[in-house]
Amino acid sequence: MSGPGVGWYLIVSAALFGIGSLGVMLRRSPLIVLLSLEIMLNGANLALIAFARQVGDLDGQIFALAVMAVAAAEVAIGLGLIVAMARRDMALDVDQASALRG
Amino acid sequence: MGNVLVWIVWFLAAGACLGSGIAVVSLTNPFYSALALIGNLASLAVLYLLLAAEFLAAAQVLVYAGAVMVMFVFVIAYLGGRADAPWAGGSPVMQTAAVVAAVALLVEVVVVLGLAWGDDLKDSAEVSDSFGSPAALGELFLTDHLLAFEITSIVLLVAAIGGVVLGTTHEKGRP
Amino acid sequence: MVVGAWICLLAPLGGALAITLAGQWISRRAAGYISTLTTFLAFAGGLVTFFGLWSRDAEEREHLSTAYTWLAAGDFQVGMEILVDPLSAVMMLVVSGVGGLIVWYSMGYMAGDEEERRYFAYMSLFVFSMLLLVQAGNFLLLLVGWGLVGLASYLLIGFWHRRPEAVAAAKKAFVMNAIGDATFALAAVLLIWSTGALEFSGVFAGVEGLSGTTVNLVALGLLGGAVAKSAQIPLHTWLPDAMEGPTPVSALIHAATMVTAGVYLLVRAHPIFEAAPDVQALAAILGAVTLLVAGFVALVQWDIKRVIAYSTMSQIGYMFLAAGIGAYGVAIFHLMTHAFFKALLFLAAGVVIHHLSDEQDIRRMGGLKTALPRTHLAFLVGTVALVGIPPLAGFWSKDAIVASALARGDALGWTLFAAGLLGVLLTGAYSFRLYFAVFQGKPQEAEAERSHAHETHGEGPMSMLAPVGILAVLSAIGGLLSIPGVWHPFTHWIEETGEPLVEATAGQDYLTSAISVALGILGIVIARRAFLLDRQLVTASSAWRAFEHKLYFDELYDALFHRPSAALSNALRRRVEGPIIERSLNEIGSGTILASGGLARVQSGLLRTYALAIAFSVCVLVIVFVAVR
Repeated sequence: MSGPGVGWYLIVSAALFGIGSLGVMLRRSPLIVLLSLEIMLNGANLALIAFARQVGDLDGQIFALAVMAVAAAEVAIGLGLIVAMARRDMALDVDQASALRG
Repeated sequence: MGNVLVWIVWFLAAGACLGSGIAVVSLTNPFYSALALIGNLASLAVLYLLLAAEFLAAAQVLVYAGAVMVMFVFVIAYLGGRADAPWAGGSPVMQTAAVVAAVALLVEVVVVLGLAWGDDLKDSAEVSDSFGSPAALGELFLTDHLLAFEITSIVLLVAAIGGVVLGTTHEKGRP
Repeated sequence: MVVGAWICLLAPLGGALAITLAGQWISRRAAGYISTLTTFLAFAGGLVTFFGLWSRDAEEREHLSTAYTWLAAGDFQVGMEILVDPLSAVMMLVVSGVGGLIVWYSMGYMAGDEEERRYFAYMSLFVFSMLLLVQAGNFLLLLVGWGLVGLASYLLIGFWHRRPEAVAAAKKAFVMNAIGDATFALAAVLLIWSTGALEFSGVFAGVEGLSGTTVNLVALGLLGGAVAKSAQIPLHTWLPDAMEGPTPVSALIHAATMVTAGVYLLVRAHPIFEAAPDVQALAAILGAVTLLVAGFVALVQWDIKRVIAYSTMSQIGYMFLAAGIGAYGVAIFHLMTHAFFKALLFLAAGVVIHHLSDEQDIRRMGGLKTALPRTHLAFLVGTVALVGIPPLAGFWSKDAIVASALARGDALGWTLFAAGLLGVLLTGAYSFRLYFAVFQGKPQEAEAERSHAHETHGEGPMSMLAPVGILAVLSAIGGLLSIPGVWHPFTHWIEETGEPLVEATAGQDYLTSAISVALGILGIVIARRAFLLDRQLVTASSAWRAFEHKLYFDELYDALFHRPSAALSNALRRRVEGPIIERSLNEIGSGTILASGGLARVQSGLLRTYALAIAFSVCVLVIVFVAVR
């Protein structure tokens, strides 16, 4: 393959994953957390597809498609949660959703 | 010549990807974050194209950018001012720790994996022109990976039902 | 014949169980009947056994009958086995016979007591335990019987459990017996270890091959048990206190049978003692010391039962002396005659106490010979037998012991001979002092008032007087089973189980008898003179005080054992148990709460913290996976 080798794609993928995890850990709004989650998932997808190209096997792309579908489903539910929280007039702040406190 | 073009496109796309990713994480206005994510998805689609995954690039733009992000924007519009996401709070310790963890992960991938598998990753296989085409993917989905296909559809069904349940209002005033 | 032995053993057990299980459904008198009849049934069984043995030749007179194997561990086996041989047959008869008479007597003595049923159940339990002890065919079963008689003794001494003195006395008896039990048990363990067997035959065969130290230790252990059970010095202080129990209990347990168990052990285990001659000599010396000390202390006691108790201690000293020098037949002979006249003395004293409504202080008694003529005669017979005046029983047996000491001949023998003779003098003095104080002289005024209550039925019920009478007859003629130089059926019978080491010649017997009768009469004369002059027998005040305080043994043991252990226990309670153990329980609780509180703070409830934790774990795991690969 001309162009960057699979290693470069992996670096981008890892960077995306790291950025996404930073967002999950540092932001307090659930919306932004969801968005960051999407970034993480996309990073993983990139890695899958890069390896599929490198190995020459389409299984990686199949997996990435499934991931996309699951991510869509998860976003739907997550947004539903946020809407439900808003309907109950709860503050949209993950730090305040601490009912699991031990 | 073509090689140089590929590299330029790659750098542009990768740069846009990372930049928009950082933008998503750091902007305070959620609407702008959503827009940045759309840009992220689009640049990823370009990268998929470079990796001979045409169908996936198209699916990415259609499903992710087209459907998922539209959902996001709808909700942000519904929430209005309540969706504002300032950077307030969080102990400095935790913030530093988070940054450290993320950086460590990146470094790990690069250094550790590179050291361990560096040799294996040098060459890429030769692929035919139909690699990544819808026909090839469809055939795999319906033969080798039928189970994954079916389960994914069930997941989507469950998610749809879950979404409806979460959004239903009950008569007695209970939301 | 063996069936007779089993009946003898199990009848009292059946009686005890019957009384216990029947509980309130039977009347109190019925409990007494059950107990008495089962004990006499045991006596009948014993007679069957005895005559069965008698009809056989000398070689065939040892039978081991096993009910079942009780313990088996590797090569080592112990069975529920009883041994029927001449020695055990005699002991069976003595225990069940004298026991039967005493239980019969108790029917009258304990009539009207609230807890009569419990009393008779305990008495039957005791008779069973004692029979188990003498019939046991191995050391383990003997130890079981040993412990059970200790238990029965504890239960019966503390029978009137609302009296704190009785409870204290019961505890004291049990603890001192436990010391003996411990040494006995250690000896048994040593036997298993060295000979691998506990049955008598196996042990005695194996004794030959043991080292000197082992045999000495085993013999010492057995001697320790015997000393505790028979109330010899130094483990004797429990016996006078044991008089807190009812008088028939004192008669049966602390005169006729349980305290003689030590003597039985010394005779039964004689091969072990013969292999450890120093320990055997020690037994004789302890016997001699005890007989003298008890004799001296008895000179100044004023409680009628205590005088008789010290007399018991002294006479058992004679038996230990005999067993210690190897005159086994003579020792058992004295055991039997002593059972007769000592039980007689106790039961007669019981009649006196009963008559005077539980008065036991001889300083407040006197002149009872007119009020209690038959008891007076019986008591006189018993006392004369005790002193050893011919032709009554004690003469034949006690003099045989002293003569055996003479026959031994060496330094030890002469010392024991002298001690035995001095003991006779003391016996005459203290026993006749008791007799004169209780029965002669003027009746006290208070006594006349108290005895009014008993005018209606004279001296006492038939159930009390008949056994006294029978025992008086036995004390009179029982000694005729062994006349030196003429007739020795009893000692020869016993000696089939154990060859005596010494045997007095007829000449030594006659010489000893002459001297001891003279000394006995001298003692009687001294006592009478003191009585007529209304003086104490011991006038030196320091000696008097020492004797009254029983030579300060109790005070010594209190200082040596009780006070340090009480101080140690209190110190441990305050320093260790309170702060460390009790508070540690609280500490465990509060510590757990603290730790869990600390851990609970990890559950912050903040999603972001959880995400951070996950991210960190992933980093670590990646390194681990790569490294392991």
